[in-house]
Amino acid sequence: MIIRSRPPAVGEFGWIWIALVLLVGVSALVAPSAIGLASVYSMLPFASVLVLLAIGQTLVVQQRGLDMSVAAIVTIAGLLVAKFSVLTGSPMVGVVLTCAVCGAAGILNGLLVARIGISPIVATLATGALYFGVARILSGGSAMPIPPSLQALAQARLLGAPVLFYVAAVLVVVVSLVLRSTVVGRRFIAVGSNIAAARAQGTRTAAYQIGSYAVAGVCYAIAGIALAGFIGYATPTAGSSYLLPSIAAVVVGGTPFTGGKGSVVATAGAAMFMTLLDQLVLSLGASPAMQLLAQAVAIIIAVSIRRLPNPAKLLGRHRRLA
Amino acid sequence: MPQDIRLRVVGVSKRFPGVWALRHVSFDVLAGEVHGLVGENGAGMSTLMGIASGALAPDEGVVSVNGVDVSADPDLVRARGLAIVRQEPALMPDLSVAENIFLGVGAERRPRPSEMNLWAQRLLGEWDPDTNIDAAERVDLMNAQQRFIIEIVKALAGDPTVLVLDEPTEHLMSDDVGRLFDRIRALTRRGVGVVYISHRIREVRSIADRVTVLREGQSQGTHDIASLTEKDIVALIVGKAVNHEFPEKQPPQSGGRDRLEVRGLSGEGFSEVSLSVRPGEILGLAGMDGQGKREFVAGLVGLTAGRGQIVLDGTAIRPGSSSHTAAAGLQYLSGSRHRDGMFAELSVRENFSYRTLRNIARAGVIRREAETAAAEAAVRSFDVKTPGVEAPIGALSGGNQQKVLIAGILAADPRVVIVDEPTQGVDIGARVFIYQAIVEAARRGISFIVVSSDAGELAGLCHRVAVFSRGHIVGELAGAEVSESAIISAVLTSGSDRRRQGGTESLGHRVLKWFAGNWAPLATVATIILALGLYAGISNEFYLTSRSIGGMLALVAALAMVACGQQALMLIGGIDLSVGPLMGLTTVVMSFFFVKDMPLEMQLAGWVALFGVAIAVGLLNWALVDPLGMHPMMATLATFMVLQSVSLVLRPTPAGMIDFEFLDAVNTRWAFLPVAALLALAVALALDAALFRSGLGIKLRGFGSRADAARVAGINPRLMRLLAYVGCSVLAVAAGVMMIGQVGVGDAMSGNDYTLASIAAAVVGGASLFGGRGSFLGAFLGALLITQINVVTTFLSLTDGWRSVLLGVMIVTAVAAYSRARKMVVAA
Repeated sequence: MIIRSRPPAVGEFGWIWIALVLLVGVSALVAPSAIGLASVYSMLPFASVLVLLAIGQTLVVQQRGLDMSVAAIVTIAGLLVAKFSVLTGSPMVGVVLTCAVCGAAGILNGLLVARIGISPIVATLATGALYFGVARILSGGSAMPIPPSLQALAQARLLGAPVLFYVAAVLVVVVSLVLRSTVVGRRFIAVGSNIAAARAQGTRTAAYQIGSYAVAGVCYAIAGIALAGFIGYATPTAGSSYLLPSIAAVVVGGTPFTGGKGSVVATAGAAMFMTLLDQLVLSLGASPAMQLLAQAVAIIIAVSIRRLPNPAKLLGRHRRLA
Repeated sequence: MPQDIRLRVVGVSKRFPGVWALRHVSFDVLAGEVHGLVGENGAGMSTLMGIASGALAPDEGVVSVNGVDVSADPDLVRARGLAIVRQEPALMPDLSVAENIFLGVGAERRPRPSEMNLWAQRLLGEWDPDTNIDAAERVDLMNAQQRFIIEIVKALAGDPTVLVLDEPTEHLMSDDVGRLFDRIRALTRRGVGVVYISHRIREVRSIADRVTVLREGQSQGTHDIASLTEKDIVALIVGKAVNHEFPEKQPPQSGGRDRLEVRGLSGEGFSEVSLSVRPGEILGLAGMDGQGKREFVAGLVGLTAGRGQIVLDGTAIRPGSSSHTAAAGLQYLSGSRHRDGMFAELSVRENFSYRTLRNIARAGVIRREAETAAAEAAVRSFDVKTPGVEAPIGALSGGNQQKVLIAGILAADPRVVIVDEPTQGVDIGARVFIYQAIVEAARRGISFIVVSSDAGELAGLCHRVAVFSRGHIVGELAGAEVSESAIISAVLTSGSDRRRQGGTESLGHRVLKWFAGNWAPLATVATIILALGLYAGISNEFYLTSRSIGGMLALVAALAMVACGQQALMLIGGIDLSVGPLMGLTTVVMSFFFVKDMPLEMQLAGWVALFGVAIAVGLLNWALVDPLGMHPMMATLATFMVLQSVSLVLRPTPAGMIDFEFLDAVNTRWAFLPVAALLALAVALALDAALFRSGLGIKLRGFGSRADAARVAGINPRLMRLLAYVGCSVLAVAAGVMMIGQVGVGDAMSGNDYTLASIAAAVVGGASLFGGRGSFLGAFLGALLITQINVVTTFLSLTDGWRSVLLGVMIVTAVAAYSRARKMVVAA
């Protein structure tokens, strides 16, 4: 027996789009330069890097984890691609090897969490230190140049938009489709939602947990390569500033820390939102300090707004009153 | 006389979604009587006890203890003298036995913490002079019987006027049952009212004076026990329509070979179990909880490790792998839906199709229309009441949830279905439907193994019933023997005698136990510190000098203080990312007050400002986490950004040189030892003393160890969180003051590295992010080790990179060792 109910509300992952539209509107009014073409072009490559990172972080959070090693893996990816490209003579081989090594780093994270039973924060905090150390040893503490062909690729534009934007968009769409409509994706969500129930129904849960960290590692690798390529060189500190934004994007996008459900699309929207917010604050002439404050307020609002009663119901009540 | 009524329940009703758990239940428990409360599983007894204890609020009606209305107020219930012995003891695993009993009694009955162990040991001795329970040991080292005895001793220690015992003999051995009955008689002589909940009718008849029978949430009246025979009670419990709800049994297909054959399967809690099931046969597993029937099922379906042979239609299945078992066609449905039966926040559709994903997918892509159509068809044919297939299954009533899950299993075309408690938390209408579905599926040739503690259910459904005791099958009923009374009698006669566990401990176990304890991290970290120091001293003669050690200790102070703060939060399972920026903010604030030639009153104002900042930040974090309900990571991340931004507004770049005299004061040394480091050590030791030796500290650890059990013990969760968050901020600000000795100016970013370092120090020192574990001295030593690694690597001329690698490897190794030991000890 199916009981018909009200039409669906905004939903936990819908809010970010309302917020993004509002932010664009406000920017257009108070600081049109913030959403001008020049400003968007300078912003998009970095927003794309953040999107790539946040995809990985979202996947890990969906498995009730948290990846503190993201900054280290991003850093090491830039250094590795520089090193491997020189060693193998082919930037493409370098990219593939880099992704493989970073995926392996993710697998190590996953093993520590799923097999040894260390809590995700501690495990990835420790491996983060480990990977940072390796990055330092690799680079000898100095910056390494990225092969020109990779630089050209990372800085290229297609139909007016940076190539990195397309890379991020394609990855968002692919990951989202896999999660939404494949057997693997469904099992992945189920394991995050209730690992014991998934196991009782015959799912190899550790594979999905470890897999989330591995895929995240590859996402970070792509982001690290993109970042180094765009800047033109890899440094042993390149990724340091990306840990908190990657977590913030997941939080603001609405993926809960309780695992299971999540949305990489909403996370991507949140990454754009956070980048645009920074841009707006800067265009208003405020200091970087204000950027942080604006981000903090965004996080607090993002978390509390989803705890409010259903907006559709509120609207409904208003209509009746009118 | 009203004062003779100890517990009064008047017209209590409670409705859960889709089902009345209780309807207008009333009864009185008189002073000096044992009042039996009997009924089937799901008759409403656990709900009734939840309401009597104040944990649940009734929809209607009143509960009063000794004449005072106590509805929905657990603290008042306790204060009025009602104590409950729960079937699943409400103990805090990381606390010692003595600490659990200490927190379990009212504040006025508690001894001084220093006398706690002796006091608790005396109480345990009063229960059994030869007790094998050591009051000083942690509860997570105790087995089920020992935990239950602790629960009883805890309840008795409060000198209750009403004692509620919930299935008290389930976990007890016969000599302990005798002790319990003696104790009950002694209590009733003193005028205590005892409520005795049990499904063992014989036992209730032997101890109770009056009995109240519940059936489907309604009272069947209170009766003098002498006026009822055992048969009368059964009739009241079961009702008139005994087998009416069960469809007629169809004989299973005869001949042919067995569908499933299990030969000599052994594992945790069961051994050498052999059984077989024919196609279309429904086999029941009976036995008391803890006698091996559930443990066997967990081993059979591969959730726990097992040894032995499992053969399905002639093909062997490897034990210990749930994915193999499921792939082979053995589907399992857990008896506890919320724990491991369903995905509560996923939709009816997703829960229904989870076992058939391969069938509705093409090349790994789910065909959504086919999936929705199948789910909608199942909802219709199983008459599931739901707003739609997209509704989260958790929003449905228990009966409708179970229908969806069973429909999902049957759609997976299983060969054998193993169902644990098929009708737990299911209303009567859905129950009949589920029975019909099972019988119908069996008729089509699917074999069933049904685990149930409801003998009537097994009798109505099963062709054969195997009875478990002490991990073995001790009897089997088949054909006409399968009746409710035969099953009950088989279960009751087999399950009464329990083996006493324990005895001598192996050396290996003792070592393991030590490693799982509170002091192992301290000893381990201290050993590493000494070994590393010695090695560095041998490699570089300048390392073991007072100058180098003094320099290192000067760096330790700040990290140790902030690590203590982090430890305070980890004790309650929290975390604070904002400590680093808070330390930076501390230097910024100081740079306005403690500059050269500042008058004394300004310096005083500075201290007030620092203290104010600490309290304000602690309150902010707490407010985001507790009343607003944010995840601690998110909340303190937001605070991280707020603090960083405030600091940067005040000091966009490092500026504001601190007065040299003040810096000298912070950097004072006693001999070659920095006073700040000694102070940090003293703080850690004092906090540890408070943590392990004061009531408040024990409460904090108890709350972190198990929040729901702490709630039962009357610990206020809000207060505990407030204490931890404010405490952490105060310690972080103190750490910032110590850090100023190195920084010297107001620098917004100067503390940022301390966030992760403080977490690392606390976990290396033995803290667990799951709460309840660790010590402040451990955090201090963790900070010392991390600082030492930083310093030693320079002396060994290792680069930054190697230092970082060493740190990472060390954290992983330490934490892996602690968590491994804890798991193995609890399992042993």
